[in-house]
Amino acid sequence: MKEVCFFLGAIGCLGGAIAVIGLRNPFYSVLALIVHLISLAGLFLLLQAEFLAAAQIVVYAGAVMVLYVFVAAYVGNVEESLWEPIPGQRWIAPLLGLALFAELSIAIIGSGLKSLDTEGPTVELGFGSPEAIGRLMLERFLIAFEAASLLLLIAAIGAVVLAARRRESAPPGVQPGGEHVDSQPGSPAGIPERAAG
Amino acid sequence: MSDFAAPTIDYAGLSPVIALTAGICLVLLVGLFRLPHWVAPAKTLGVLAVTAGLCIWQWGENEDLVESALRLDELGLAASLIAIFAAAVTTILAMREPAAEDAGQGAFGALLLGSVLGMVLLAQAQNLLSFFIGLELLSIPLYVMCASAIRRERSLESGLKYLVIGSVGSATLLYGFALLYGASGSTDFGEIAAALGEGGQADDTLVLIGTAMVAVGLAFKLSLAPFHQWTPDVYQGAPTPVTAFMAVATKAAAFIALARLFEVALGPLTDDWQPALAALALISIVVGNIGALGQDSLKRLLGYSGIAQAGYMLAGVVVANETGLEALVFYLAAYCLMNLAIFVVVVVRERETEHGDDISALEGIGRSRPALAWPVTIGMLALAGLPGTSGFIGKLFLIEATVEGDYTWLGVAIVIGTMVSLAYYLRVLAAVWMRPEPEPVQTPLPAIAGASPQAPATEGPRVTPSPASERPLGAGRCVLVVGAGVVCAVATVAFGVYPDPLVDWATDAGSSLSL
Repeated sequence: MKEVCFFLGAIGCLGGAIAVIGLRNPFYSVLALIVHLISLAGLFLLLQAEFLAAAQIVVYAGAVMVLYVFVAAYVGNVEESLWEPIPGQRWIAPLLGLALFAELSIAIIGSGLKSLDTEGPTVELGFGSPEAIGRLMLERFLIAFEAASLLLLIAAIGAVVLAARRRESAPPGVQPGGEHVDSQPGSPAGIPERAAG
Repeated sequence: MSDFAAPTIDYAGLSPVIALTAGICLVLLVGLFRLPHWVAPAKTLGVLAVTAGLCIWQWGENEDLVESALRLDELGLAASLIAIFAAAVTTILAMREPAAEDAGQGAFGALLLGSVLGMVLLAQAQNLLSFFIGLELLSIPLYVMCASAIRRERSLESGLKYLVIGSVGSATLLYGFALLYGASGSTDFGEIAAALGEGGQADDTLVLIGTAMVAVGLAFKLSLAPFHQWTPDVYQGAPTPVTAFMAVATKAAAFIALARLFEVALGPLTDDWQPALAALALISIVVGNIGALGQDSLKRLLGYSGIAQAGYMLAGVVVANETGLEALVFYLAAYCLMNLAIFVVVVVRERETEHGDDISALEGIGRSRPALAWPVTIGMLALAGLPGTSGFIGKLFLIEATVEGDYTWLGVAIVIGTMVSLAYYLRVLAAVWMRPEPEPVQTPLPAIAGASPQAPATEGPRVTPSPASERPLGAGRCVLVVGAGVVCAVATVAFGVYPDPLVDWATDAGSSLSL
C-alpha cells in the first residue's frame, strides 16, 4: 500500500513539474503546478508530516495558486515559444541542467549513508502534528520563527513601496513632509527636467 | 502544554537584534505623520548608533544564544559593526536621493534597517535555519531598494535581475542545506561537524555535493566569478546609495557567514572544499580585473573591481586558519572605508552633473572640488593597494595568510591581480587630476520605469518632480555627505599609516572562532 501511494505521489509530482515547463498555455501550467503541489503534499503525508501536508495544500495549492490563476487570467493566453529565445542559452542551459542532474544522481546513488536503503526511522505518534511543529518553533527555532515574521513585515513594506510607484498623483500628505509639487494633470510632458547643477 | 520548555533567552546578548527590530517599527511610524524630511534619516541614524553601542558593549562575550541558533562572538559583532557603519553612510547619502524620497524616507529607512538586521543574524547564525532566514532578510529589502528609483528603467531592471538571480542562489543554497541535513541529521553547526567528523561521512558524495551547492549559493550572493554576471548590471541600475550599501555590507556579512559555515560546520571537510574555493578565488581575481578594464561607468567599474576584491578576500577563508580570518576581517573593514569614500563622490557628482556615473563626471574635479577629488583618489589608491593606505596593509595580511596556509600561488595571484587593477584605477585618477572640467550637457529625465507606453496618454498620471531636482544643493547636506567621504578617506589613510587599532580589532574577531 505504501509503495502504491509513493509511486502515485511521485508520478504526480514529476508529471506535474514537467508539465509546468512543457505546456505552452500559462493557465495549464498553473493547473499542472497545482497537481505537482498536491502530489507533494501526499508524499509529505507518507513521511508522517501531517501539518506540513495540510499547510502545503492550504497555502500553496490554495492561496498562492489562486494568485497565479488570477495573474494568468489577467495577462491572458500568451502563447510562449517552447524554445529559449536567446540563441546562446538554447543548448547551454539544457546541458548545464543535465550536468546538475547527473551530479545529483551520483550524489544520491553513490551515497554510502546506510539509512537510505531502509524504511526510515520509526517516529512516535504525533511527530508531524501541529503541536509538535509549534513546540519546535517556540522552543528550538524561536529565533528563526521570529525572524521569519519580521521577514514578512519587511516584504510587506517592500510590496507597498513598489506598488506605490503608480500613485504619483496621490495627495501630498502621503509623502512625509508633503514636499511633492503636483504638475498639471493630464500632461504627459509633466515629466520634469532635472535642474542642472 | 505543561511540558513546554521555554528556551533561555539572554536579552543582553540579543540586544543588538532587539534594538534593530524596535528601530524598524519606530522608523516606519515616521511615515504616518507630517514631519520634516530629516526626521526619518535622523531616527535611522539614531537606531544604528544605539545598535553599534550595544555591539561594542557585548564585545568580548562568547556564548550561544537561544538554543544555539546564534553565536555571540567578536566575529559576528565585527561584521555587524561594518554593516552598521555602511548603513549609516548610506542613510546620509540617501537623505535627498530621489529614490528614497519616492519610496518615503520612513519606508526606505525601515528597509535599510531590515537588511542590517538580516546581516547581523546571518553573521551570527550558527544553525542552518537561522542562516537561511538571515540571508533572506538581508536580500529581500535589497531587491526592493534596488528597484526604488521609479524614474529610471534601469533601476527596475536591476531590482528584477537581482531578485531572479538572488532567488536562484537561495534555491541552490537551500538544496545544499537539505543534502547536508540529510547526511548529518542536524541543522546545528556544531552537531553537523560532529556527525560528519565522527560518523566518518565526510567523504560521502551526498555531503560533497551538498557542500558544493552551498558554496555556489553563497558565491551568487558574494558575486564571485563565475556567478557574477548580475553584479555590474545591478550595481549600475540601483540607486547609488543602495549600490554602496550592497557592495560593502552584504560582502561583510556574507563572508563572515561563509567562514563560519565552512570552518565550523564543514570543518571536517576542509581538505575537500579548500581547492574548490581557491579555484573560485582565482577565477574571480582574473574575471574581475579583466572585466573592469574597459568600463566607462564608475558603478560598473566598481562592480567588476568588487568581484576581484571578493576573490582576494576569499583567500582569507580558503586558508582556513586564524591568520586568514584576521586578514579577512581587517580587509572587510578597510574595503568598507575605501569603497564608501569613492561612492560618496559618485553620488555627489551624479547629482551635480549630467554625466551620471560616467567617468567623465569626475573630470577636472581635482582643481575645482578638492574635497571630492581627495577621497576618490585615496579610495582608488587603497583599492589598488598602494602603501600608506589600509588597502596595502590588508593585502599584506591576506598574502601572509596564503603563505602560511600553503596557498602561496593564491598570494601570487593577488599580487598579479593588483598590478592589473592599477590600469583601471589610475584611469579614473587621470580623469580626476589631468582633464579639464567638461561643459555641462542637458539630458531630459526619463519617464517612470515600468509604466506602459500608453499610460501617459490614457491615464495622464501627474508626475511630481522630485524634491532633489527642485532644490539647489543645500549647503548643510553637502557638508554632511562630503564629510562622510572625507571621514572614510581619512580613516583609510590613518589605518594605513597606523594600523594597530584595526589590527587588534581584527585579531579579536579572527581568534574568536578558536580554529
